[in-house]
Amino acid sequence: MSRKAVIECKHVSKTFYTLSGDHLVVDDLNFTVYENEFVVLFGPGQCGKTTVLNLITGLELPTKGEIIVAGEKVTGPSPKRGMVYQTTNLFMWYNVMKNVEFGPSVRGISKKERRKKAQHYIDLVGLTGFEKHYPVQLSGGMQQRVGIARAYCNEPDIICMDEPFGHLDAQTRYLMEKEVERISSQEKRTVVFVTNNVEEAIYLADRIILLRNLPTSVKKEYTVDLPRPRNYVSPEFLALREEITRDMDPTL
Amino acid sequence: MAEPIVKVRNLTKSFGDLLVLDDVSFDVQKGEFLCIVGPTGCGKTTFLNSLTKLYNIDSGSITINGKDIDLRQNNIAYIFQEYSAMEWLTVEQNIMYGLKIKHVDKDIIRQRVENVMEIVGLTKYRNFYPRQLSASMLQRVVIARAFAVEPELLLMDEPYGQLDLQLKYHLEDELIKLWQKTGTTVIFITHNIEEAVYLSDRILVLTNKPTKIKKSIPNNLPRPRKISDPEFVKLRNEVTDLIKWW
Amino acid sequence: MKKSSIKQKAGTILLPAVGFVAILVIWWLLVSFTRIGLLLPTPLEVLKRFIYFLGNPIGKAFTLPMHLLISLRRVLTGFCIASVAGIIVGISMGRFKPIEAIVRPIFELVRPIPGVAWIPLAIVWFGIGETAKTFIIFMGGFVNIVVNTYAGARHVDERLMGVAYMLGASKIQAFFRVVLPSCVPYIFAGMQVGLSTCWMAVLAAEMVSSFEGVGWVIIAGQDINDMAQIFVGIIAIAVMGLLLAAFMRFMERILCRWRERGA
Repeated sequence: MSRKAVIECKHVSKTFYTLSGDHLVVDDLNFTVYENEFVVLFGPGQCGKTTVLNLITGLELPTKGEIIVAGEKVTGPSPKRGMVYQTTNLFMWYNVMKNVEFGPSVRGISKKERRKKAQHYIDLVGLTGFEKHYPVQLSGGMQQRVGIARAYCNEPDIICMDEPFGHLDAQTRYLMEKEVERISSQEKRTVVFVTNNVEEAIYLADRIILLRNLPTSVKKEYTVDLPRPRNYVSPEFLALREEITRDMDPTL
Repeated sequence: MAEPIVKVRNLTKSFGDLLVLDDVSFDVQKGEFLCIVGPTGCGKTTFLNSLTKLYNIDSGSITINGKDIDLRQNNIAYIFQEYSAMEWLTVEQNIMYGLKIKHVDKDIIRQRVENVMEIVGLTKYRNFYPRQLSASMLQRVVIARAFAVEPELLLMDEPYGQLDLQLKYHLEDELIKLWQKTGTTVIFITHNIEEAVYLSDRILVLTNKPTKIKKSIPNNLPRPRKISDPEFVKLRNEVTDLIKWW
Repeated sequence: MKKSSIKQKAGTILLPAVGFVAILVIWWLLVSFTRIGLLLPTPLEVLKRFIYFLGNPIGKAFTLPMHLLISLRRVLTGFCIASVAGIIVGISMGRFKPIEAIVRPIFELVRPIPGVAWIPLAIVWFGIGETAKTFIIFMGGFVNIVVNTYAGARHVDERLMGVAYMLGASKIQAFFRVVLPSCVPYIFAGMQVGLSTCWMAVLAAEMVSSFEGVGWVIIAGQDINDMAQIFVGIIAIAVMGLLLAAFMRFMERILCRWRERGA
């Protein structure tokens, strides 16, 4: 069985040229993500994970190498690549419904059709009944659900999630991890999820790509085939967690 | 058992009609590392602010060494989530700051500051300014500063909330080292159950609002602890079952 | 709980009322028992006159409400032009670098000039008709609206612009759905200050050259040495200013509903 590659990252390097000198942030990064796979990019502290996501979504362009998403070379931002952010980045002046339907709306999809679509994803993330609420009226976890629905509603080829739960407390985080697992089992998508939390990585991932500290490149890959839903304290889970922690580059 | 250093009795607090703390009583032994965990939204912050008398409590009492708590008299240190190092002071000056305010003898200051800087590995960075440090280094400064004043009681409110897990355990190991060497009494409030099991001598589990104490669980696991140890997992599960809402 | 709600009421209603009553009492005492009475009417006289003018003309033709309406119309004309122009200039300065480079130095030069300084120029340019007054009022409001709108346009969250582009928005769509809404709170702050400066400018304009309006009421009172009339004018100005500010706050509440936490 050959799987269809959706993201191909080929010899990608990124240097930032600044007044204080050149900073090599990504150095010869190579990996492939397959269709409907849930891949976690995992690495220590500030290891340039966000830069990798920016390269995939096209907000930054590589200095060397190329990234192919769904057969097309990435040359700039595109609605084909969705993003869920750590700081939610919701449009504060729009209610939940208008936030979720933003993508279809700017792409000129008829009101009736986009409302139906948006409602589907609002229901999917468990926000039914909150359509008319403004973001300030929602808790952190609920805001993050809106961000997820907004990304899904644009029906992109891939969805990138940049430490979406970094600001939530440990328990709300468990809840959101469970929710993301439920959502991605109901609506299969190709997801690239960035985190620095090893528990979260193992709980969610089909495959974990461990990144080196700056400059970023792939250090090791782990295929996680524990049965879902996973148990945070099962011996296999904890053993993998200790293995990955051992393999990680130390940070200060 | 020795007389407890901190005694909290029948602590009650409400905002308007909303009862947030309902008849909370507990003791803390001298030198104990007490972790307090509760479900999200359990009034953790109110709990802490009442303990430190930032809020006027409705009824009940808090005593330290048998006397009513008094922020001017008692030597209490806090470490909160936001690192608050003073930007215009170097690492060393930051750590000295609290001691200087309390007019501690110069030689003692020097000795204590050297000691805590050594334990958390800040000696090399003594002349750095906070801006020049990473988040984890900054967190070390804040922790070293708190321990340097040798407080009667140290209150910590999720100081490691935003750091990544590996780093967190590294810093927690340092925290344990400092605590063991100084014999400080610590109250550590967190949402993270694993963290509570990793650090504590005893875990106080809170209920949802109005906050009460659900259970006090002693934690005698040998240190250094290992998160995959079956005993560790057993205790973690026990606490989780008391709290779980997600 | 009861205790705290009484305390709150005391803070919002009772204490300000105490202040007002105190001023009225001191005023009344001063007028009744000192020589200031020669220069100042009693509060009661002013109130009587105020009520009288509500139905009877001041000067030739207009009652007090009519004078107020005339002033108000002038203010609103100048203010509306100032708002439209101010928002356009502010946003283009904030969003387009070349425009910022060209316009900003000129603007910085004009900015410290107070509205009344334009009066002589306005009279030379436009005569003493309505155009001159509109111009003075316009200059009074324009600066504040530009300053605030410009600040708002510069503070648009660039990450949110990125979000909009990544969801497929064009530049125009991003402008109307991200730039404009995130400027609204700033624009409103500018319009609030602008409206009160416009209101000040109309009085100045009317005092210099006019035959009607509240500014004229005051000047006319001075000409005939009628203290009560001057006070009626001043109080009318204060009340109208308060009403305008309240109206702006009300509009802000409606347009910026998304900033309110309460459900």
